[in-house]
Amino acid sequence: MSKQVFNHPAPQPGEPTGPSYWRSLDERNKTPEFRTRAEREFVDGAAAISTVERREFLLLMGASFGLAGLGLAGCREPRNHTLPYSKQPENTIPGVATYYASSFPGESANQALIVETHQHRPTKVEGNPSHAANGTASSKFAQASVLDLYDPERAQASQAASGAVLSVAAVRDLLRKLSAEAKANGGAGLAFLARPSTSPTRARVVAAVKAALPQARFVEYTPVAQNRADAVLGFRALPDFAKARRILSLDADFLGSGDGVVEATRAYSAARRADTAAEADAMARLYVVESTFSLTGAAADHRLRAASSHISGLAILFAAEVLAQTGKGSDAAALRAKVSGLSTDAWIKESIADLVAAKGKALIVAGDHLSADAHRAVAVANAALGAAVRYVKAAAPATGTIADLVSKPAATLVILGGNPAYDAPADVDFAKAVKAAKQVVRLGYHGPAYDETSALVKDAQGTFLAASHYLESWSDGRTVDGTYVPVQPMIDPLFPTVTELDVLAPFAGLTQEPYALVRETFNSLSKDASDAAFAAWLAEGVLAGTQYPTYSEQLLALPTGTFKAPELSAKSLEVRIVPSVHAGDGLYANNGWLAEAPDPLSKTSWQNVILISPKLAKELNVEPETQFITEKLHALNRNINQLVDGRLIAKVATLTLNGVTIKGSLFIMPGLADYTIGLQLGFGRRIAGRVATRVAERLQGKLVGNGFDVYPFVTSTEPSVRTGVVLALTGESAPIANMQDHWSMEGRDVVREGNAADLHHNENFAKLGIDGHAPAVYGKDEKMSPAEKAILTPRGNSAYEHPNHTVAPNVAVWQGHEDKFPLLQQWGMSIDLNTCTGCNACVTACQAENNIPVVGRDQVLKGRNMQWIRLDRYFFDGRESAGTEIPADPQVTFMGVACQHCETAPCETVCPANATVHDDQGLNTMAYNRCIGTRYCANNCPYKVRRFNFLDYNKREAGHYYEGPLGPAKLPKDPADLPQLQKNPDVSVRMRGVMEKCTYCVQRIQEAKIQAKVRAKDSADINVADGAIKVACQQACPAEAIEFGDITDPKSRVSKAKASTRTYGALTYLNTRPRTTYQAKLRNLNPRMPGAILVPLSRKEMAGREGHAPAHGAAAAHGETSHGAPAADSHGHQK
Amino acid sequence: MRKLINFLNGAAPRGNFFRRSVNSVPLQVLICLLVTVAVVVAGINEYATNKYLNVGYTPDQPVAFDHTFHAGPDSALGLDCRYCHNFVEKSGHSNVPTSSTCWNCHSQVKTDSPALALIRRSVETGEAVRWVKVHKVPDYVYFNHAVHVNRGVSCVECHGRIDQQVVVGQQKSLNMSFCIDCHRNPEQVLRPVDKVTDLAWKAESPAAQAAQGTKFVHDWKVNPPQSCSGCHR
Repeated sequence: MSKQVFNHPAPQPGEPTGPSYWRSLDERNKTPEFRTRAEREFVDGAAAISTVERREFLLLMGASFGLAGLGLAGCREPRNHTLPYSKQPENTIPGVATYYASSFPGESANQALIVETHQHRPTKVEGNPSHAANGTASSKFAQASVLDLYDPERAQASQAASGAVLSVAAVRDLLRKLSAEAKANGGAGLAFLARPSTSPTRARVVAAVKAALPQARFVEYTPVAQNRADAVLGFRALPDFAKARRILSLDADFLGSGDGVVEATRAYSAARRADTAAEADAMARLYVVESTFSLTGAAADHRLRAASSHISGLAILFAAEVLAQTGKGSDAAALRAKVSGLSTDAWIKESIADLVAAKGKALIVAGDHLSADAHRAVAVANAALGAAVRYVKAAAPATGTIADLVSKPAATLVILGGNPAYDAPADVDFAKAVKAAKQVVRLGYHGPAYDETSALVKDAQGTFLAASHYLESWSDGRTVDGTYVPVQPMIDPLFPTVTELDVLAPFAGLTQEPYALVRETFNSLSKDASDAAFAAWLAEGVLAGTQYPTYSEQLLALPTGTFKAPELSAKSLEVRIVPSVHAGDGLYANNGWLAEAPDPLSKTSWQNVILISPKLAKELNVEPETQFITEKLHALNRNINQLVDGRLIAKVATLTLNGVTIKGSLFIMPGLADYTIGLQLGFGRRIAGRVATRVAERLQGKLVGNGFDVYPFVTSTEPSVRTGVVLALTGESAPIANMQDHWSMEGRDVVREGNAADLHHNENFAKLGIDGHAPAVYGKDEKMSPAEKAILTPRGNSAYEHPNHTVAPNVAVWQGHEDKFPLLQQWGMSIDLNTCTGCNACVTACQAENNIPVVGRDQVLKGRNMQWIRLDRYFFDGRESAGTEIPADPQVTFMGVACQHCETAPCETVCPANATVHDDQGLNTMAYNRCIGTRYCANNCPYKVRRFNFLDYNKREAGHYYEGPLGPAKLPKDPADLPQLQKNPDVSVRMRGVMEKCTYCVQRIQEAKIQAKVRAKDSADINVADGAIKVACQQACPAEAIEFGDITDPKSRVSKAKASTRTYGALTYLNTRPRTTYQAKLRNLNPRMPGAILVPLSRKEMAGREGHAPAHGAAAAHGETSHGAPAADSHGHQK
Repeated sequence: MRKLINFLNGAAPRGNFFRRSVNSVPLQVLICLLVTVAVVVAGINEYATNKYLNVGYTPDQPVAFDHTFHAGPDSALGLDCRYCHNFVEKSGHSNVPTSSTCWNCHSQVKTDSPALALIRRSVETGEAVRWVKVHKVPDYVYFNHAVHVNRGVSCVECHGRIDQQVVVGQQKSLNMSFCIDCHRNPEQVLRPVDKVTDLAWKAESPAAQAAQGTKFVHDWKVNPPQSCSGCHR
């Protein structure tokens, strides 16, 4: 009997050709480079030893082993010591984590957090579920902030102009002296420059400073201002995504950037969840108008590409359409008359008709960069729609701008945080303001060696004050809805540092410590000012009833000015500048987790790129030579980002605007507006730490930032959108560190989609392809419950004898009494692709929880990135024939892939060391201490989720990996080597030569089981309650897309998710039987919209592969007719 | 061979046909054997005995704390283990007592004893006493005290009769087979939960222990993990 071979079904002649899903342009176009790369396990060079030849390496290693043997060191364990506390601190149990409430300070909103500490060492942050709007979720920036606390390059002491180190006492003396000087002349010549903050205490202290020193100036500056509409409207419109069912976003990336992403994603995703026909009807629908691809655009049901510089005009047209359809025709006509150069088309008409039909539950969100008139128009339209918006009175914006500090320089300048020397607008010569001042005091997180502003201040003979991290400080803040939250210290400052409040308070004549100041603010905001109430606030992390009060006196005004759309062409381009997902506006540039977490859409890491549209690429003739693919002669293939030796090599170009030139690598991005260029802030730092600068240059003592600096294009009046840019190629090429094509799944039906309408008549749409035909791996056992399938490992119709994986009690006493023994809990996961927005929070949370190392740009270029979760991004198109054109209007699906914990795991059978085996709860475990690094398991994993420690990433410093023991170690006894303090003590830190992968957070599972048993004592009540285990990715996910729990309990949340008709497993026809399953994505189409895609292309593609309609076996299994529904579908059921 | 045949045929010169160097071969073989045996013996002695597992490791402690005096069976004090190791039921890690725990009593008793000098200094300055760690499992082993002592596994199973040791030493091997033996046969060690810190307690007979242990395994649904994930994360 021969072994059965699974082949992917070949396309039938005459069926639609060309893939509909692709993860990169190379994949889309099937270039030979991509194919070579995809067929390999790791990218080229990943397994190569680059600097030393193999033979030479073996020689060296042999010699070093010999030498090691001579020493005979380490025969006996060294003497270890236990150092107990002298006095037992309150609430501290050695070995047990303690959790405190705090919040992550943002410029427009804080994020309520719970911080995990181990003996008061913060290691991980989670969302604070006491604040219902964010639940347990948190953003990637909040997740990564804990690493900043242990940044080895953070300033460790304050410095006087002379370079002398200042103690905290000396800093306080200095501030008292300065405030006394200021007091003498009423603060004339004194100016403060700070970042915006939500802290009521800071606002109170600043008000006190202004009262004490009436002539002093307090200026706030941030390069990426949020809520810019507040100043125009006089109030803030807080979108209510939980209520909104028809949302129109005008270049507003509410799911991707800004301080409110967690709350917005959570509410929006809840409105997208649908498993029944009724829920499908109530599902939210999202229209997006934008120029560059944002996460919001990726989530859109209907997306209109438009230049950002046109969207201010389009906003007025949208508003006019709202007015026209709500019976205010005259206003509408007046508005339309103000806009020229743009046309009212069917898109506007149909989308607004849908919004108007959902009056009361409709919502228009305007991007921050839009013009004042656009904001006014949107406010009017929202009022006409009775939009799902809560109007609140926001804090008055600070008076004065950073430009004032240059035009009227201060004699004494106090710079609190931020990095204006790097991120000030190009038309503001901030250095002038610093040089003009007689005295400069700079409070910064990084010292002169690693920060542009600190260096500038040092050059100007200023004083540098080392700032505390928020996890070391007392402060407070407000969340998006205004709820009052604390910022409380988890640890004494690691170094003699001070906070913003420490610096400001003396100028206000206040002598209190920040703690006392926060306490006073609390007393004024809380109805109950008792110590108990304060303690309760700190414990709970939120003060109930402190949301911004609703504001009803909106003064709405129609736009006053006219709008003329600027002409755009390949010779005169527009740039859209956004904060990068890696470095934000530059503040997070020295954070390795963020630098390495790939951009969700371009999948680049460690750098920014010049995103250009496929059309522009064609017009500029920057596409590479045409290639012929032999099996499809009609397909001319083009790609720009050449794969050479497994690396993505991009063309380098310059962008010039008004004589200012910046230079970077080009990256073709489908979905961009034709003549828009996407640029990301936060890179190209001139003076920065080890993460923000390139390794090779840093080792030579030079500071060259990763990526390129976009701030030369940012001006005070046009911070986000500029027009008239000229692009020129330099003829150079450069590699891009991207994770785009790594471990490709090569177009198999791993992502499945349907339309919301499918839930009415074709609910088994997710049972596609081989799955649809033959849930054959279970065969006659298909009807078994998930629990039985997990425990019994049924062999279906197979003639082979499978090994018996039945979970029996493995204790001798139980043998013969198996019937009395309860089933062990079996863990499983369900990921809902429908609600996932691709925000990267899970990737960063996993990295924080599981001690995953940062490998650096050079290693990413070799494909050695270590993140356990790979967030795949699939483009979705199909409106053109494959290959010849790079499509302009794709749709996007994200899919998080980590170890699937297969019941019949292919990795386990090939491990010669038995290092990866199943445990009795169904986990595919890794015993690191057994692993000998053959990498067979990674070879045999169909999901490509295993990560190998090619080098000692945890132990060695980036740039010194190849020096082995001769290089400097990252983890010696040096107390300044901070990052190790972040490590989770419950997870092994892996060394070189060890394979690793997602463990389902086994440390959390074990902890929950141990707690259950500790509680049970001498009783039998040992089962872990549903919800007691939250794995790190699940806990961080703002979309609540991940469920985890016991799949033998039909009432558990994960079992309910798995029972959804949308549930499918990836690559299940390989008989892997994954414990992680996915729920198919739903798109909520409006069939009346122009360009609506009526049939999910994944289904069309699979139908093409199968030769006829899918869902045949699945439908039959559910007792339905099998062929009708899909056939109707492929012709568009809405007709 | 050809040489030999030639020799037998008389083609080669007569005399001893073994080369002179062959004389030392028996000696060489002997030395080789001796070295091999010595290496094997030394290897077994080094790696395959309890010495390698640190059984009997009894380091001197900075303060000569005497468990027999404080908690021994004949001690007038008869302290419970959990008076000092107070978090053992709550934490995976059984804590070494803080200096202030000692000072609960010693602020009244033997306050000025020179033996307590380090403790006194620690209480005054807040500096930790550097106790020497006796029982240590590798870093990749996540042993949890709380789950054992709360489910009827006594301290004595891993630590031995601490209450009879003047200076504490390691008595059990604490290697993986030591753990697994017990996880396979928990009925041999389970005892009533209230007897966990009674180190002298013993079932009346091995048969009584087996019967009682079996009952506990059934009643408490005891199924100690034997997969990697039980201890390695």
